Amino acid sequence: MSKVEEMVEIIAVVRMNKMNETKRALSEIGVPAFSAAKVMGRGKGKVDYLLLKGAEAGYDEAISQLGPGPKLFPKRLLIVAVPTKLKDKVIRAIIRVNQTGEPGDGKIFVMPVTNVYRVRTGETDIVALS
Amino acid sequence: MLMIRAIVRPSKASDVMAALMAAGYPAVTKLDVVGRGKQRGMKVGEVTYDEIPKELLFTVVGDKDKDFVVETILKAARTGEKGSFGDGKIFISPVQEVYTVSSGVKEEESSVDDASDIVGAPVAVEKKKEAAQ
Repeated sequence: MSKVEEMVEIIAVVRMNKMNETKRALSEIGVPAFSAAKVMGRGKGKVDYLLLKGAEAGYDEAISQLGPGPKLFPKRLLIVAVPTKLKDKVIRAIIRVNQTGEPGDGKIFVMPVTNVYRVRTGETDIVALS
Repeated sequence: MLMIRAIVRPSKASDVMAALMAAGYPAVTKLDVVGRGKQRGMKVGEVTYDEIPKELLFTVVGDKDKDFVVETILKAARTGEKGSFGDGKIFISPVQEVYTVSSGVKEEESSVDDASDIVGAPVAVEKKKEAAQ
């Protein structure tokens, strides 16, 4: 099963307002094809840093907004299937445009893909991706 | 590391999220989906519904946490004592690498979903406030 090594699926959860830059960055490195979805999510609870700063400074308004736990925030989910040799390039591009340094920038997951088919022609695996 | 994808009833999604939070797995992403299962949808009178709304929850955890997290989701997502059709499915797939965008760091197995530093929890904020006084 050497095919397992050939392709990977990169699933990234990023900020909504970084989508255009992400699209442009992915096109520039030659990976124009990907899927995206609007999702809601939460991380380790450090997401709303402005609110947290307010709460830590002791503002009652900010504290009352915190609620019983971290809230769900709207995010974009990107699904990019690429040949393994492009993996690092894509990850670096996504990190470069999405990084603000604040919590809530998102996560990137890399998962193995065993088979790829192009529906139009029936081509398989690495041929179907290029 | 493993990605756990759970398809659950929309009405149970918040229960599952709360259960995961209580169990120490705060990081979850939620996606609205529609689908059908083995029962070929739902028949109400003459009409068959084969696009039943569900919620897809996904989270990435360390290998050793898999069973515990799956158990937590199952317990929270089941309806009734024995569960019933339409309660959903859980799928688990391998994850090779995980990156955090804010730091650009490639995460190690141990640091995924470590809930020990949830600074956003009201408890932590209250404590900090008390300590400051």
